[in-house]
Amino acid sequence: MDNMAPSKKAGFQKERERFGYAMVSPSMVFLIAVTTLPLVSLLAMSFFRIDLTSPMDNGWAGVENYTEIIKDHRFWHSMRLTAVYTTVTVVLQVMIGLALAMAFFRGFRGQGAMRVSVLLPMILAPVVVGLSWRTLILTPEYGILDYLSILMGFGSKPWLVHPSWALVSVILIHTWQWTPFAFLVFLASLNAMPLEPLEAALLDTRNSWQRFRFVILPMIRPAVYIVIIIRTMVALRAFAAIFSATGGGPGTATEILNLYAYRVSFNSLNLGYGAALGTLLLLLTVGISMVFFRMRKAN
Amino acid sequence: MAEVILRNVCKLFGKVPVVRDFSLNIADGEFLVLVGPSGCGKSTTLRLVAGLESLSSGEIYIGDRLVNDIHPRDRDIAMVFQNYALYPQMTVYDNMAFSLKMRKVPKREIDQAIRRTSELLRIDQLLDRKPGQLSGGQRQRVALGRSIIRNPHVFLFDEPLSNLDAKLRIAMRAELLELHQRLMTTAIYVTHDQLEAMTMGDRIVVMNEGVIQQVDHPETVYDHPVNLFVAGFIGSPSMNFLDCRILQNGDSLCAATDGLRLKIPAGKQARVQSYVGRDAVLGIRPEHIGLASDPARCDCLAGFTAVVRVVESAGSEKIVHARVEDHSLVARLDPHTRLKTGETVEFAVRMETVHIFDKVTGQTLM
Ligand SMILES: Nc1ncnc2c1ncn2[C@@H]1O[C@H](COP(=O)(O)OP(=O)(O)OP(=O)(O)O)[C@@H](O)[C@H]1O
Ligand SMILES: [Mg+2]
Repeated sequence: MDNMAPSKKAGFQKERERFGYAMVSPSMVFLIAVTTLPLVSLLAMSFFRIDLTSPMDNGWAGVENYTEIIKDHRFWHSMRLTAVYTTVTVVLQVMIGLALAMAFFRGFRGQGAMRVSVLLPMILAPVVVGLSWRTLILTPEYGILDYLSILMGFGSKPWLVHPSWALVSVILIHTWQWTPFAFLVFLASLNAMPLEPLEAALLDTRNSWQRFRFVILPMIRPAVYIVIIIRTMVALRAFAAIFSATGGGPGTATEILNLYAYRVSFNSLNLGYGAALGTLLLLLTVGISMVFFRMRKAN
Repeated sequence: MAEVILRNVCKLFGKVPVVRDFSLNIADGEFLVLVGPSGCGKSTTLRLVAGLESLSSGEIYIGDRLVNDIHPRDRDIAMVFQNYALYPQMTVYDNMAFSLKMRKVPKREIDQAIRRTSELLRIDQLLDRKPGQLSGGQRQRVALGRSIIRNPHVFLFDEPLSNLDAKLRIAMRAELLELHQRLMTTAIYVTHDQLEAMTMGDRIVVMNEGVIQQVDHPETVYDHPVNLFVAGFIGSPSMNFLDCRILQNGDSLCAATDGLRLKIPAGKQARVQSYVGRDAVLGIRPEHIGLASDPARCDCLAGFTAVVRVVESAGSEKIVHARVEDHSLVARLDPHTRLKTGETVEFAVRMETVHIFDKVTGQTLM
């Protein structure tokens, strides 16, 4: 009689579990179809030569795609761009996001309306952002930014047509769109801080910078790590905004790894090589995120 | 060392006045206790002195300096917060060192100060721990240490002991006082616990709804409360209040209510003479009610008969709740008194210790 009760309960729990599985199974199937299957086929494709421009030679290639990548200057160029693009955008997002969050944390007049406008970029689709920057903001003389640049005496800049400026532009676009995310996380984290240590710091520190550096920043450090990790992941595989603003150009000036993989696959129609590039990007992303998570744990 | 002067200090949150026309001089080296019920504006007053809130009007001086517009960090004060407010990510050592580091005090000096203070507070074993790894009492000491080490001119304590268990609280109370004797730094201490206030303060300030009710030595506040509020707030169990009417009875006066007729001592009659025929409130401290059978040590006893309702034994005393007609009274009796619930007993009140209050204004008449 004594062990009747637990077994009964277990049966009841099992039924609940089964029901749970039944409920999530459609979305699981969907997820496997749109994420796992493409991933597996990507990996498989990377070991084949699939060049639609000369389909005769297609077939098993082993690691040939990979050995070729190592010798590929355009690949290394895209890696350097990816590194610069990711590092600069993440650093900018964290710094600007933190500064904005601190400003909102202290509070000022007209805060409500400002908060909405700060968050707006994030809800736009990246393609829209890329296109609207290209047309509304960066167009020579008529774009808002170019106009401001002229007004401030810096003159019109070749925002999208000069290689260096194009890189600056895509970094600006990404930062503009995604700083709100960092801002949001930081603001939430600031608002969750216990108030009393902050007040104690008001008595203990000599200026606001010390208070921020030694009291506030350590308390929101976990949020900073999270933002760095998430934003790095996203920056590494940025695509739509660059694609719609510069398409990777001029030349290969803004062709980060993701765009290179796309261009190889769908412009040059060399699907096998593109798949190998894509696989490397995946490994890179996973590797870096694992390092970050380790670092976060260690702290 | 510094005296602290508050002059007509007012604080409004929006349109709600929280501290009203607060004026007080706190002497150099004094240990002043601010006491009052929850929400009466004690913390706000303290935060005004600290500079964590801005004044709506009035002036605050620390030393001879008007500090109204002086930043908290430049006021030479140290505050111990109710929830300790330790920096969670720093070790005990760093918590204590922090303010000195920020002031660019040489490392060696900081180290010496920490050794000294941590020994004094018996936290020298804990220096490497983080606040999260400490017990409430230990955190309390660290918070204390962090403020002592700065050697401030004024200490501000906001209910620093309220999170501790009863035993530790009493121990820390003594330690704090001892510390104060040693440092002789001006201290303002906020508590809602009247017992803490009574035992700790050189002087205590009783506040209610943002207004100072009475400022005086603890015994004076206890023996001569200025109004109904103070009388009821200070003392535990609190004073018995009975609505009564002052009656002329031949050439003496008495306070009468149904079932009770207590004669007012001759020496005090003059003060209530003008209240004859009017309503008043009678206040009797529980310890001033005794059994009529006890050998009386005073001439002026007024007796009454009551039914015992509840008897609480507290070891050193017996708290008896009794009923006379519609009034319930609390008496503090000798622990060896034997009383049973339901018993009818003759009680006696020492009338020269009784208070009478104006029913409308609450002011003390006698
Ligand atoms: N920042 C604020 N904004 C609005 N009202 C406030 C604010 N801080 C305190 N109050 C109000 O002021 C009144 C006094 O608050 P205060 O914290 O000074 O009370 P207290 O005497 O310290 O009470 P307790 O014993 O509960 O700590 C309360 O009614 C409270 O609601
Ligand atoms: Mg308070």
